[in-house]
Amino acid sequence: MEKKSSIWVYFTLAFGGLIFAYPFLWMLSATFKPEMEISEIGLMSANFSLDNYRAVFNKIPIGRALLNSIFVSSCVTFSAVLFGSIVGYALARLRFWGRELILGVILFTMVIPFQITLIPMYILMVKFGWVDTYMALIVPGMISTFGILLFRQFFLDIPQDLIDAARIDGCSDLTILFKMFFPLSKPVIITVGILSFMGSWNDVLWPLIVVRVRELMTMPQMVTLFKVGGQAESQIGSQLAAAALLAIPIVIVYAFFQRYFIESMATSGLKS
Amino acid sequence: MNFKMVEQNIKIMKHGCHKQRCAVVCTIILICVFLQCDKQHNGNQQKSDRVQITYWCSSNQDEIDLAKYLVDRWNASHDSINVQLQPIPASQSSEEVLLAAIAAGTTPDLCSNMWPGAMDDFISSGGLVRLDQFPDFVDYISERVPADLLETFRAPDGHFYQLPWKSNPIMIVYNKNIFHDAGVENIPRTYSEYIEAGRKITRDIDGDGNLDVWMSHRDTKPIWWQRFFDYYTFYIAASGGKTLFDGPEIIFNNEASVKVFDFFQRVYKENLFAKTTFVGDAFILGKLATQIAGPWHVSHVEKFRPPGFEYGIFPIPVPDDYQGPVYTFGDFKNISIFSTTEHPGATYKFAKYLITAEADLKLLEYTLQMPIRKDLTGNPLFKDFFMKNPNLVYFAEQAPFTRGMDGVSDLKEIFDAISQEYEACAIFNRREPAEAIKNAAERARVIIEWNRSR
Amino acid sequence: MSNMLGKIKSSEKSGYLMSLPYVLYFCIFVAFPLIFSFILIFHKWNIVTPMQWIGLRNFVRLFHDIQFFKSIRNTLVFLAIHIPLQITVALFFAIQLNKKIKFRGFFRALFFLPVIVSGVVITILWEQLYAYETGLLNLIITGLGLERIPWINSPEWAMPSIAIMATWKNVGLYIILFLVGLQGIPQYLYEAAEMDGAKSVQRFFHITIPSLNNTMLLVIILSTIGGFSLFIEPFVMTGGGPMNSTLSAMLYIYNQAFYFGHMGYAATLGFFFAFVILIVILIQKKVVERE
Repeated sequence: MEKKSSIWVYFTLAFGGLIFAYPFLWMLSATFKPEMEISEIGLMSANFSLDNYRAVFNKIPIGRALLNSIFVSSCVTFSAVLFGSIVGYALARLRFWGRELILGVILFTMVIPFQITLIPMYILMVKFGWVDTYMALIVPGMISTFGILLFRQFFLDIPQDLIDAARIDGCSDLTILFKMFFPLSKPVIITVGILSFMGSWNDVLWPLIVVRVRELMTMPQMVTLFKVGGQAESQIGSQLAAAALLAIPIVIVYAFFQRYFIESMATSGLKS
Repeated sequence: MNFKMVEQNIKIMKHGCHKQRCAVVCTIILICVFLQCDKQHNGNQQKSDRVQITYWCSSNQDEIDLAKYLVDRWNASHDSINVQLQPIPASQSSEEVLLAAIAAGTTPDLCSNMWPGAMDDFISSGGLVRLDQFPDFVDYISERVPADLLETFRAPDGHFYQLPWKSNPIMIVYNKNIFHDAGVENIPRTYSEYIEAGRKITRDIDGDGNLDVWMSHRDTKPIWWQRFFDYYTFYIAASGGKTLFDGPEIIFNNEASVKVFDFFQRVYKENLFAKTTFVGDAFILGKLATQIAGPWHVSHVEKFRPPGFEYGIFPIPVPDDYQGPVYTFGDFKNISIFSTTEHPGATYKFAKYLITAEADLKLLEYTLQMPIRKDLTGNPLFKDFFMKNPNLVYFAEQAPFTRGMDGVSDLKEIFDAISQEYEACAIFNRREPAEAIKNAAERARVIIEWNRSR
Repeated sequence: MSNMLGKIKSSEKSGYLMSLPYVLYFCIFVAFPLIFSFILIFHKWNIVTPMQWIGLRNFVRLFHDIQFFKSIRNTLVFLAIHIPLQITVALFFAIQLNKKIKFRGFFRALFFLPVIVSGVVITILWEQLYAYETGLLNLIITGLGLERIPWINSPEWAMPSIAIMATWKNVGLYIILFLVGLQGIPQYLYEAAEMDGAKSVQRFFHITIPSLNNTMLLVIILSTIGGFSLFIEPFVMTGGGPMNSTLSAMLYIYNQAFYFGHMGYAATLGFFFAFVILIVILIQKKVVERE
């Protein structure tokens, strides 16, 4: 009886796996096929070529967009971890008037849908003169309230005695944070890092709003405009090739850090 | 957590502190410097005795090549006025880029990709220079542009802010082989003739149950600018050269619009216009008998057609009861000078250079687009060119009978509303033409009322 | 004694300094935008020309705006299809994965793949899958002898098509969440029920589902918030059509603000929409908690 249900389970999972994997495989193979053969179910073709990719590289500076995305996402991640840990530490381990107030404010802002602040944020960028600069892409993402809360949660569990011992030795709070807490906080750092990086990398709406100049566009933004703006000239192969190029970096990272990705999302989900 | 480990850490902390902190601070400073750097890139103006002008051209490759040629020739012969060429930064639309530049004060001295439809926005933001302040402007331009066409470029305040440059008259390009094979002898002039031809042509050739040839194809997505090339073009033809507005008044809720909507509803109902999306260029592949197109499309067909492919050009079909010359939509692009310019006189000189006959000839040669010029077919300078490109003669003759966009600031929204009514009526056959036009006009009225509360 | 006092004071100082980044951020990027947005609601502005006070006219316009209400309705339709589908599929696969099988890690990683890939990629891919004559889905369907489905070409099917695509993209995340929830259910509950003669269906509805209440609420709220932000899929795939059936609220607001330049009106729409979202979430919380 047990064995029978096992086979059925594997079959279901395999079928599910096929549903999730095949479209990607199809997409990948389609990018290598000439335009006429794309509308086929099968993966193979006699005419594999790199033409579609060449077309993409010829039409849009996608390499530059890749670099932009890497630069922006790295900055955002770095600062989210940095400031998240600093503020998280303050909220977790330091006592000062207004601490609970700030915590309450943070929780409150997480409830506000971003739809309200989107337009004024854009206007702010215009007033600061940050439209079409890296500043507009990076600065609004520099602090992640989620990151702050995750760090705070984690830091709450560190025993007070360790901190007291360090204080008596004359260490400042920043020292305690970076030299003592950080090595112990690898899971949180990785979680916040991955979430920030992914969130920043995949964000399209904000770059669409604040960046109009090609040199500064992020990769998802550029691929979006490539498709929507008609430069692809309804060449499906080129569109799919651009999409594939966009997917590859994060899939590569995913392949290596897959466990961390999944665990990060799971823990963050639980915490909320 | 291991106490010993922690104690050790604390000791290391105190010693290694300083270095670590420095490293972090340095990195942060480096990043800030880098971020500031790219800001400074935008402000590089060389100060010299020469006058320096910045000229923005379209980001279309042919036009960039044309602009480079013209600018190089100018710079070679004009020492005192140096022109720096820059293609418009690419984005979703050049109007957005220009408006953003006006808002930020980063406009060039002049730009040759000015869309008349956005003129209201440009003018009301104070970004453009009045061109008729130059004493020779009106005379100079009247020599070049037909009077009635010139009037359509005059702004509501009576002045001119744009210099008419080029247009792309929209006509119909057709596949002679398909017409012949289907037994269509005459070129269709009216809606009925066109639909008759369509019925003969749209059929299943290889007997597999699927249609193989259609009369034509249009993008059915309700994106506002798609309507320029179906509804709006046919409306201009059907109304004898009218546009959507007459001054501030909406005039498109008329018989002509209804007839145009009705025409498109019919062609889609009878499946004469394909609704599917094609892989590759369907016209060149022989799947479409006709296509609504401008001169650029003809050059595309000329480049890519297979051997034996014969094509021709005829004007936009008109309603059965229409008499008179056939007008069409000409996607105009004009030249404007921006109010941020420090050298209006010099810039105006350069602008005039861009519309001399010699420059116009280059425009024809490089881009195959029509200069807005009265004597295109008459001027001996252009004779050779038209002999080499006989198909373009049609466009040249059509050029004086074109209309553009009204310079109304709500144009996008209004076309958006028209697109949605068009989609409901013609594509999905869920609304009658008269009702659809009435709705569209009503929505346009609401839009204007809302936006004109000044 | 004074030494201790000195130390407490410095801890307070550290506290203020270290929370300063967030306080600054909040003032500039949260408080100011909120206040400015509130002011903007009463004005007409397209950035290029000066602001104009118009009082409550933005609200008047809003209440006559059929398209806006259609866009909200579209978004709700999307959620109505997406959330139940999401829960069903995610729960199903989570239960399978929870059983004793090999390669669990592999399948987990596979299901999770679409979650991390950018929505743009997924949309471009699925637009081809949904193509009427040449798309993979219709090819399979006609291969089975059935009639083609006009997925994104028909006003009736378009939004459901986007909902299906969104489910495919995100279900991996919810599978993981349900898995975690399932693993938290003590095994003895099932064993006890089995001994009492409960069939597997009964065990499912009386043990599994109630124990997953918290996870369920989380899944619903996350899907809802994600669903209300629906923007990039209609933007890339359908432009809001056909016949405005896929015009999501965010897309409409984006168009009003950045396409047509009506900043004041868009801000008004944003506020109203945020209000709708909060109400929906509160309702969901009450409903799920009652069960």
